[in-house]
Amino acid sequence: MSSFGFGLITAAVLAIATVGFTMQFAVTNVLNLAYGSVMINSAYVTYYLNIHHVTIWLALIGGVITGAVTSWCLNRFIFTPFQRRNLAPITVVIVALGVDLIGTFGLQAVVGSSYVAFHQTAGHEYHFAGMILNGLQLIILGLCAVVLGLIHWLLKYTRLGKAMRATSANPNLARNSGVKTQFIISTTWLISGALCGLAGTVFAMNTGVFEATSAQLYIVLLLAAMFLGGPGEPYGAMFGALIIGLSTEISAAYINPQYKEVIAFLVLLGMLAFRPYGIFGSEKTL
Amino acid sequence: MSAELSKPGQHLVATGLSAGYDGRAIVSGIDIEALPGTVASIVGPNGSGKSTLLKSLVGVVKVLEGQVKIGDNVVTNTAPEEIAKLGIGYVPQIDDVFPPLSVRENLEIGGYLLPRRDVEASIEAVLESFPRLKSMLTRKAGKLSGGERKMLAMGRVLMLSPSVLVLDEPTANLAPLVATQLLEEYIRGFADAGSTVLLVEQRAKAALRISNWTYVLGGGRIVLSGAPKDLEENPLFVESFLGGAAPTK
Amino acid sequence: MLTAYAFYLTTILVYGAVDSMACLALNYQFGFAGVSNFGFIIFQAAGAYAAAILSMPRAATSNGGFQQYVLGWNLPWPLPWIGAAIVGGLIALPFVFLVGKRLRGDFAAVGLLVSAVLLNELVKDYVPFLNGAAGVSIVPAPFQSKWNPQGLGYQFVYGGVAIVITIGVYYLLRRVTESPYGRSLRAMRDNDIVADSLGKNLRRQRAGVLVLGGAMAALSGAILVGFISLWAPGAWGYAETIVLFAAIIVGGAGNHKGAILGAILVPLAFEEITRFIPPVANPTLIPALQWVAIGLLIILFLWFRPNGILPERRRFLSGAAPADVVSEPATNEGDALIKLGNVDQLNFRELLRLGDTANDHRVILSTKGLTKTFNGVTVVSDVSIEIQQGRLTGMIGPNGAGKSTTLAMLAGTLPASSGTVTYDGQDITNLSSFKRAQAGLVRTFQLASEFKKLTVLENLVSAIPKQSGDSFVGSLRGKRYWGSEDKANIERAQEVLEGFGLTQYADTYAGGLSGGQRRLVEIMRALLAEPKVLLLDEPMAGVHPNLAHKIGDQLTKMCESGMTILMVEHELSIMDAFCDPVIVLAEGTVLATGTMAELRKRPEVVEAYLVG
Repeated sequence: MSSFGFGLITAAVLAIATVGFTMQFAVTNVLNLAYGSVMINSAYVTYYLNIHHVTIWLALIGGVITGAVTSWCLNRFIFTPFQRRNLAPITVVIVALGVDLIGTFGLQAVVGSSYVAFHQTAGHEYHFAGMILNGLQLIILGLCAVVLGLIHWLLKYTRLGKAMRATSANPNLARNSGVKTQFIISTTWLISGALCGLAGTVFAMNTGVFEATSAQLYIVLLLAAMFLGGPGEPYGAMFGALIIGLSTEISAAYINPQYKEVIAFLVLLGMLAFRPYGIFGSEKTL
Repeated sequence: MSAELSKPGQHLVATGLSAGYDGRAIVSGIDIEALPGTVASIVGPNGSGKSTLLKSLVGVVKVLEGQVKIGDNVVTNTAPEEIAKLGIGYVPQIDDVFPPLSVRENLEIGGYLLPRRDVEASIEAVLESFPRLKSMLTRKAGKLSGGERKMLAMGRVLMLSPSVLVLDEPTANLAPLVATQLLEEYIRGFADAGSTVLLVEQRAKAALRISNWTYVLGGGRIVLSGAPKDLEENPLFVESFLGGAAPTK
Repeated sequence: MLTAYAFYLTTILVYGAVDSMACLALNYQFGFAGVSNFGFIIFQAAGAYAAAILSMPRAATSNGGFQQYVLGWNLPWPLPWIGAAIVGGLIALPFVFLVGKRLRGDFAAVGLLVSAVLLNELVKDYVPFLNGAAGVSIVPAPFQSKWNPQGLGYQFVYGGVAIVITIGVYYLLRRVTESPYGRSLRAMRDNDIVADSLGKNLRRQRAGVLVLGGAMAALSGAILVGFISLWAPGAWGYAETIVLFAAIIVGGAGNHKGAILGAILVPLAFEEITRFIPPVANPTLIPALQWVAIGLLIILFLWFRPNGILPERRRFLSGAAPADVVSEPATNEGDALIKLGNVDQLNFRELLRLGDTANDHRVILSTKGLTKTFNGVTVVSDVSIEIQQGRLTGMIGPNGAGKSTTLAMLAGTLPASSGTVTYDGQDITNLSSFKRAQAGLVRTFQLASEFKKLTVLENLVSAIPKQSGDSFVGSLRGKRYWGSEDKANIERAQEVLEGFGLTQYADTYAGGLSGGQRRLVEIMRALLAEPKVLLLDEPMAGVHPNLAHKIGDQLTKMCESGMTILMVEHELSIMDAFCDPVIVLAEGTVLATGTMAELRKRPEVVEAYLVG
């Protein structure tokens, strides 16, 4: 049962990351493979604020802002200009990989390759329903729940969120309805980037120690969760993250924890081979 | 047609218009206009550039030469969202709704430019005109039937009470009765209430019935234009569009 | 001092050969066949490991057992290298399902990328297989018992052998890509769905490309591991593939010399230049900056010089001097002026290989209860039609009536949700589209579907079925084997081209033509696929009316020569003039069938769909 607790934390962090990732795909049709590098850069900004005597929860805001601004710039100055040239999707993916290299190893060139950790305390341990969670983990869970709730509220009940969904579904028609889609797309990258920054920081909190290349494997989980729920579907991403998060941690408890990504990998390959539009998606959406 | 949905029309004029993709003209040398209180229609064979022409008027396709004017505003190559602000409602032929959004959300996006407090009233007014949509407000637009979907597409543009309505083959794939109702009741009614309607229609005879003026497009140019009465008597027009008096092989 | 430089030179020779071979193989996959193999490094790694453990002694008996690995067969050279190439080819097979025809290219690519990431982790974590993160070391060099591998002579010979093998790979790949098979690969790269509809077996082509490229990648790994004598997961991170992609983008995708140039400029130069940078305090700084530079190189080249330093070159099949070729894009304005050359003199019976059988008007293609549902919405419902041999059947109906969907189900582009399709007495409901095309059921598309970076002539020739050079084995047998047949095929395509009046565009890239010209190219290409039944999806859309009627006349003539045509069309004048019978489709069902004269008498048809 304790692995269920770990799984819940992993799922919560993954949900935030995947929602951001899938929103970027939804509005711009870009598989932003540089996402992991933005996550880890954000975590480092949090870390630097943190070691300069800013409390971790305040420092986290710095990480969130980093993620938001970086992602906004990526879309504005890299992905949008390339997409205007009507290139094959694969070209943009190659560009994203180039950005990933610059982001990850640019960071490594600056901070070196030693592991670092936040100044944080794990807090009391709480036992319930067979799970053992510490205070920090509970706060992470709560934070993720609140953020996912906010995303739900944004998409379902606000004018901005509806415009985001409309832009994703049919950008030309959205413009004909008076929606400034460029602004909506930019805002989506800002919001999804904030999620990316938050996910990066919380991911680093959860793993304890990290370095510049720590998030490189995370893209496997991210892609698996997204394709499970259907690319471009925020609610699908939450579902996918829950399944992937729980299954990787629970399988880790029974098999060797070193192989925990394998199940995500198999899920991803299975989805790509048989239902690339997700479990709930339909053929026509792709 | 409920009165709140219409506004006094504006004069839509295009002069010497060329437009197309990647710098290549699909339509060229186009002069058309649509007057307030009238229906102007464009007919022509598939591939003659009708849709491209409409798209260039509403800012979706690039204008290469010439000018588009709505009322006193020159809107050549103005962004679609700016053209929407000037009171132009455009219903494309396909991709005319947001499939994953509910019917109500589709209408809300239609009313995106309205002050927040007016959105509900406007939805009410649209539902008065299309009562069939009332019972399906929470349904996803992608799950509607062809006729319901087209009504939603019309309802979406009417949310802003446009002064000019630009419609691309609104009756495509509608059952005959629904098509007739849409054309004669709604679209004609809209013009009768004082607005401007520019319509691309593949059912030439039906288009003539509700139009004040008709343009015939062929190979990217206007090949013929006139009042419906005159066109009905033009042998060239009859031969190509009304099926011919006596088809000869 | 001089000896130090000599040793350095041998290292460069070997690395240059290995990098060139890898780039040639990846370029074959990506630049020629359009298979974005983001997991390329897996193949090189597999080759290195395979060569290592085939040449090493059994793990328990060797080196005091400090490393663990499987096999250990102690094989003499060249068996480990051959084994490596075989392993590289074999492990390509499981990946074939990822590059199957229905998956978006970028999705397949991330699948391969993630496979590379994960396999690296697995090899690292599971020590008994290949000694985990430490990797295998003290790999025997070829002939090391007889000749000292540390000697200068040995190293020069090793470098020389590596270069000779690379040159062999270059010529082998060139033989493959400059054959009819290579043309089919490039057609698949430019538009896979259309290539499929012309009878190309995409799955087999992609599998072939993965296997051959994989074997070459593995061989490059084998050569490398024989020289450096160790191989570990650190050497084949997924990002190494990106370096090779960077090399190809810089050198020029779709150009073998570009791949070699890229290999010298990117992986080789990057490794070597850093040797001359004085050491700094932070040991990871230089490698990290190298990666940053690779990233920048990719982005800057894709932006400023997307076709690389040596772009793909055009193939002038017509024999005309390159200077005489029309390279300027045509304008749509000119379409009204297109004249159909001497098309009246074309003998379609001969050109289309229709044989001598007379038209018997039997039912050659039919459907029963054909239905298509997308996500709960029925687009085509219970359509039962019969197409008679030798007739030009028309299909009309308003937009969205399901005409194109019906046609797609006939051709196999879309699977039917229910119902059956029968062709020439056979139930073909479950037959894949390329097999239908090979059996003579060929379709065209409503949207532009030319192979953009093939010339007009290449577009036409690529469609001709049963070319002896249009298979991997055929391409290997060389020009002597397929050359004369290809020459005949080119002449036949030129005859058609002349007939349709587009001779001066023979060597123009098809992507540079006007809308009307592209339509003609598509029709000509479909004809060269030697259809028995031709399915045309709005062939006259966007074509000047004058030209449309000229095309219609030719279609009629083809039917008289024994071909059968089903044509989806919007324009009534075309239906009136050429089609008999005509099927009227509305809201996904058949509303009526008959001659146009009969249909005009049916009030429901006339009122609703003919004249509104």
